[in-house]
Amino acid sequence: MPDTKITTKEAIMMFVTVIVSHTIVSLPSTILQNTKSATILNIIYVSILALIFAYLVYVLLKNFGGKDIMDIADYLGGRTLKIIVGTVLITYFVTGSGILLRNFCEGLKIIYFSNTNIVFIILVFIIAICITNTFEFSSNMKAISIFLPFVIASVVLLFIGNIQNFSLQRMFPILGEGFVNTFITGLGNIVAFGGISCLYLLPPLLKEPEKFKKIALSSIGFSAVYILLCTSTILFMFPFFFNVDEALPLYTAASYIEFGSFFQRLDAIFLLIWMLEICCYLSLASQFAILSFKKIANLRISKPLAFVIPLLIFAVSLLPKTFADSRFLEDVIYKYIIIVVIFILGFLLLVLANLKRKVKEGLNLKK
Amino acid sequence: MKIQKIGAILDTSNKESTKIFPSIDVNLEYVKSKYNTLVNSDVVLREFILNARGKQYKAFILYIDGLVNSDMMNNYILKPLMMRNRNNLFDDKQNRIISEAVANNVTVRKVKKFDLADYLKSCLIPQNSLKEKQEFKDIFSGVNSGNCALFVDTLPVAFDIEVKGFKQRSVEKPSNEIVVKGPHEAFVENLRTNSSLLRRIINNENLTMENIEIGNITKTKCALCFMSNLANPDLVAEIRYRLNNLDVDSLLSAGQLEQLITDTNDLSVPQVLSTERPDKAASYLLEGRVCVILNGAPYALILPAVMIDFLKSPDDRNLKVPFANFIRGIRFLAAAITLLLPGLYVAISSFHQEFLPTELLFSILASRETVPFPLIVEILIMEISFELIREAGLRVPSPIGPTIGIVGGIVLGQAAVSAGIVSPILIIVVAITGISSFAIPDYSFGFHLRFYRFLFIFLGSMAGFLGIAIGLFVYISLLCNTKSFGVPYTTSLSFLEKVKGSGYILPPIWKREYRNSFVNPKEPKKQDNISMKWR
Amino acid sequence: MNRFKKWFIVIIIILMLIAFDSSYDAVNLNNIAVVVAMAIDTSDDNALKVTFQFTKPSSVSDTGSTEDAPSIVNTIDASSISSAINIMNSYIGKELNLSHCKLIVFSEELAVQGISDEIFTLVNDNQVRPSTNIVISKCDAKSYIENSKPILEPLITKYYEVYANSNQFTGYATDATIGTFFNSLNCDYCEPYAILGGLNSVNNTSDTTINSQKDSDIKANDSPVSGELRSENSGLAVFKDDKLVGELNAIENLSFLCTRNDIEGFLVSVPNPESADEYIDIYLTPAKNCKISVSIVNGSPYVHLDYSFTGRIYSMTQDSDYLDAEKLQRISESCNSYLESTFSSYLYKTSKELNSDINGIGNYALSNFATIPEVQDYNWDAHYKDSFFDVNVESNVKSGFLLM
Repeated sequence: MPDTKITTKEAIMMFVTVIVSHTIVSLPSTILQNTKSATILNIIYVSILALIFAYLVYVLLKNFGGKDIMDIADYLGGRTLKIIVGTVLITYFVTGSGILLRNFCEGLKIIYFSNTNIVFIILVFIIAICITNTFEFSSNMKAISIFLPFVIASVVLLFIGNIQNFSLQRMFPILGEGFVNTFITGLGNIVAFGGISCLYLLPPLLKEPEKFKKIALSSIGFSAVYILLCTSTILFMFPFFFNVDEALPLYTAASYIEFGSFFQRLDAIFLLIWMLEICCYLSLASQFAILSFKKIANLRISKPLAFVIPLLIFAVSLLPKTFADSRFLEDVIYKYIIIVVIFILGFLLLVLANLKRKVKEGLNLKK
Repeated sequence: MKIQKIGAILDTSNKESTKIFPSIDVNLEYVKSKYNTLVNSDVVLREFILNARGKQYKAFILYIDGLVNSDMMNNYILKPLMMRNRNNLFDDKQNRIISEAVANNVTVRKVKKFDLADYLKSCLIPQNSLKEKQEFKDIFSGVNSGNCALFVDTLPVAFDIEVKGFKQRSVEKPSNEIVVKGPHEAFVENLRTNSSLLRRIINNENLTMENIEIGNITKTKCALCFMSNLANPDLVAEIRYRLNNLDVDSLLSAGQLEQLITDTNDLSVPQVLSTERPDKAASYLLEGRVCVILNGAPYALILPAVMIDFLKSPDDRNLKVPFANFIRGIRFLAAAITLLLPGLYVAISSFHQEFLPTELLFSILASRETVPFPLIVEILIMEISFELIREAGLRVPSPIGPTIGIVGGIVLGQAAVSAGIVSPILIIVVAITGISSFAIPDYSFGFHLRFYRFLFIFLGSMAGFLGIAIGLFVYISLLCNTKSFGVPYTTSLSFLEKVKGSGYILPPIWKREYRNSFVNPKEPKKQDNISMKWR
Repeated sequence: MNRFKKWFIVIIIILMLIAFDSSYDAVNLNNIAVVVAMAIDTSDDNALKVTFQFTKPSSVSDTGSTEDAPSIVNTIDASSISSAINIMNSYIGKELNLSHCKLIVFSEELAVQGISDEIFTLVNDNQVRPSTNIVISKCDAKSYIENSKPILEPLITKYYEVYANSNQFTGYATDATIGTFFNSLNCDYCEPYAILGGLNSVNNTSDTTINSQKDSDIKANDSPVSGELRSENSGLAVFKDDKLVGELNAIENLSFLCTRNDIEGFLVSVPNPESADEYIDIYLTPAKNCKISVSIVNGSPYVHLDYSFTGRIYSMTQDSDYLDAEKLQRISESCNSYLESTFSSYLYKTSKELNSDINGIGNYALSNFATIPEVQDYNWDAHYKDSFFDVNVESNVKSGFLLM
């Protein structure tokens, strides 16, 4: 397949897609609950950390050419480690998208489909990604690059449309719950950048691998701006982010938008765009899962997987019994999965692999 | 005896080609039986005696009445061959010496032998297009296309002489793709006329036209046209490969050819541009694309084509940039409306009525008060009757054409509303959708969108915006997965993707520096950074 | 395989149709009754008396006639809003839909008791728009709705649409919405407010005398308007938490809007500096946003407010000459002092009398603190009544309109 590789722009978009999809559901309110009025400061701080982290990942991956994290695991610990890493990644993608899907569908059910069983709402999405999974990775990326501008425009519109409802004083007191809360426990907000997971798998997919650094840094930069936009919209609009929990905070913000008396209640359009975005994310996550599976099992044909992975996502999304369960899963469990898998496990793996390489090189030199 | 022999030959020659026999009688019998001349009234066999260098040979010509120009045949074939004139009377007894070498007092002379075929070709037939053929197959295809074949005794070859002169439509104004500012010439059915139209516009020796015959029976002539200095050779090779590997009996129209050579026809989306305008075809040729014209079809196929091409009109380039971009924007809007508006209307009024402004909601409610059907039935009734009117309007004999308008407009529109079967707002929705679909320059693309709008109506009525979103996602993903001759179909459809020489917005004329980069032309630039050097 | 696929698709489609059919029924246009306005009163028999206003769509049909749309008003006694909706659903045989409800009226009586439960319930319902206006009616909420009749528009919803917009050019009423109400209810540094509504005084039995000197002291329920339209909005209902604590009259409402930067222009009558007993009407438009800064001095807030206006003189007399710079300067000064006294009396009223920070001045105080625990320690709520207001008005009266 000659055209499975993706361009630099598409890679950045892919990264942003992962982040955007989480902001639609509960990420902004999770962040706000963590750091309260210090959120803006915290996001800037966390973004800088994420930038540094991404740069480190770039530096560590650079030595391995076009290898992704599974190849590196193979190099470091042989086939067993490769399978372990692959499985962890698949679990991460499947659970992440399953929980996200569940939460989003709960929101949809509340808003529009009060009488429909949630299974069917989820099933609609699953069918869609079953179909698109049979396509090539690059054509999925093309679809994402068509939809993503609309998604980003929707959030910018959300910000602009709500400016009249903003009260900028809400960003004070600037330190929120205190220094420790903002800068130490607030570090947890780095989960917003869960899209870094893509970086680990990116190198073999790129058309122009030499631009990996640009991709890593600019995608973090874009995402930082985007998250800032989302959270500040919520922060400036609603004073109750620590009193009242909301199903879909951005949706609530959208329902406040008014342009004259004709354009009211534009929330349906926003939801339409966000449903597209959720589809994009799901197809992306399942494609990554398929990719990982193909790699650890040395498969050539991926067609049957196109149905298996969505079914797994479906199963995960049906696990929580209530909305509270699924919110807990997303806010707490998923957060720790991200921190452990992406920021600790992945990083450790890269560092160790680099050490091994250094040692080997050293040995070679001695010889 | 002879007949039997020929019968045997005929039997075997059905499959494999037969070489022309040296004996004229055998040839004559063969041709007679092949063409069934006793029954076929328009096949003419004219036997005569040919004079060449004072000698006489038996000969006959074969042509099809109505396809040839008789004057031309009389004056330039029969006359020089039959009438006595200086050429055919010249009796050169000495062989012409080509070279002479003397060695050891022995003169070695190289002499040219008298070659009748050569002599006929070079001296006797003053006709510009003449081909010597050895197989009946080739001769017959020439005769079938309006040439005349000359068989001469003793020769194992025959001559295919072009004397075409059949009646054909003259070049007229384009009837389906009308532009305001721009040339008013359209392709016709004749391949040569069409190729001449292209040549006249491009006016450059690099325009290459390869002939390819398609169809086991019809042997339809196709011309594969491209600019040899611009078009990507791989692309040309791929198209040539596909054209050469079509095993069909007949090929009658450009529409058939389009379906035969595209990668997939699943999504029903057109992947090849077809145009009746030579100027449009020429402009795409100059972009480095490839054009296929075939005999008998007044359309040229332009390939590869991406989605955005179907929303461009040749008028864009003739107008000032702001106007061009404005009408282009209108067309994009029209495409979106055609595809989505009825679906969105159903979705909004079934699931998202809070989205409507209150006054509009009340007008919809009021207009639907007497309507007995659910919304989905109501909209399907109107959409299907709209399609009926459109189809009937197309098929109806032209004298009673206006009736369709009256029946469609008044009876269906006005009366359906007054009878309370459909609501007036729905009529507006259907009408806007219909009008939008006609604003799309490419007929088949408009058709594609009109077809898929039913899917969105269904999805919208099933699950509102959720259905629409899922449908849109799958639809766009399918489009992204489609390729037209290796070019992704949705190239330059994304706002974030910049493709040189293509995009939503037409740049001003001095900025159109690049050819479409997605076809990878040999020459990426078509003009310098500064094109208006007079400044 | 292919046949299996086809059947699979057919089954899926049928399943989906069945699954979404019930949701379709719930929100389909044919099955809903659109509530235009809602009124909530206290009830003697039950907890609440909920009134719904509908309008018949056919009256707004294609003819475009200007006949009055009949509005249908139904009342129910119920224990909560949701049960009221439920009973109403069964009564009219359609499902009530609040997504086009433009107005929610609470009676004064109920508002005094606290309306936070109702507000939370309504906001929780995703049909209710955040932009729905919220009115505290001095009379019965039901009679307020019954008397809200559009006199210039044929359609009641159109009337409700424009009805809160008058604040843009008069400043006598506020476009208070349930969204902002809910937000400030949950905000620690601001208090909710609502439109003050009532029936105009012409038919009032109690003979209210307009004893103030100025037209701008009017309040809902006792305004000097007479006409076909009996319901009216004027002034502001001030809440402390979820309980109604006081009312503002028109001019105080104007001060409120100026402080909130939510006004396009307004008319004030300013004492004429030339002659003692006369007033000049000046049309003022804000030149800059009102700047508020708060600092904590000795434990109590010191609030500095900077207003800035440009004005043109409306009232003309035969011998007035408004091209004279000095004269204009004097008028400006008079205007400044008038507005300063008006604004500060308004601000002191909110702090001292009502102790309700409806302007959200507490938000401006936040920048004095570094962390949230510090803010909570300070307890803005308790200190607001000790605030000292330093009001500074900079108005620049330019000229008259056409006549100079």
